[in-house]
Amino acid sequence: MAKKEVKTVGVKEGIGAGVIGLGLIFLFLPSTIQKIADLEFIASEAFAMLSGSVLVLSIFTILAGLAVMFAKSDEE
Amino acid sequence: MATAQPVAKKKGTSRIPLTYVVSLIPVAIALNIVGGQINTALNLPTFLDMIGTAVVAIVLGPWWGALVGALTNIIASFISGPIGLPFAACNVVGALVWGYGVRWGWGKKYWSFFLLNILVAVLVSMTAVPIYVFLFGGATGHFSDMITAAFLAMGQNLLVSVFSSNIIVSLADKIISGFVALAIVEALPAAMTDGIKLPKSTGLTKVLWIVGGIVVGLAIALIMMNTGG
Repeated sequence: MAKKEVKTVGVKEGIGAGVIGLGLIFLFLPSTIQKIADLEFIASEAFAMLSGSVLVLSIFTILAGLAVMFAKSDEE
Repeated sequence: MATAQPVAKKKGTSRIPLTYVVSLIPVAIALNIVGGQINTALNLPTFLDMIGTAVVAIVLGPWWGALVGALTNIIASFISGPIGLPFAACNVVGALVWGYGVRWGWGKKYWSFFLLNILVAVLVSMTAVPIYVFLFGGATGHFSDMITAAFLAMGQNLLVSVFSSNIIVSLADKIISGFVALAIVEALPAAMTDGIKLPKSTGLTKVLWIVGGIVVGLAIALIMMNTGG
């Protein structure tokens, strides 16, 4: 009887998933920021809000890159 | 003919079965969204939208937790309005600190896990405050706005007022979330949590620490409700 192979994921796939999450935030950010800017109590401009948000998220993208560089994969 | 093998982590490796990921992530996102909705409905002085993030960050890893955090705020922004999306960054920070913190051994003892939750609260607040101040002008309609107003009335500037109110709310929230997540992690099958550096105790000690942690968080929240409300 053949043993059923269990598919596994490691650190590399985990970081990849995190980067996908960051990408999804970037994807929805422009339209959401415009909706926020349209709210009555918001005084800021959409461009300024988008710039600030992208700046913060870029830090996480850099962190994800560093995590990929320093992650110890089991395949190595 | 194929035989089903018990799904367990490979010994000596950090690899986890894909079934854990597929089963845990949607549940964690749902837990976050339900927690957030309950919090909004009851106007509690907490957020309760990071319990699932903490569970996944501890069990699967920090970047899987980051995915849960990002997806939670994206989905929640469709349900309860666009205000939540910029705070996805806070959910990601929480996941990274909980995930790496536990992997670096800060979750080995109950007191160090308590301190880890405080660290999460501080770093999440440091991420949230610029979003509150520069995007929303200091107010989003959350309970903490009342405390911010109180600090402003005392003569503090906006940045200090928002940080002061947010750190108190965040402390209560992250202590409760961290210990509820720990209770959930302890309830998961042993094969799933094998190799995770969590406090080793049995029976009543475990229950007392988890309940004690949640009670401390609730006490902070109650004090805040009396101050702000």
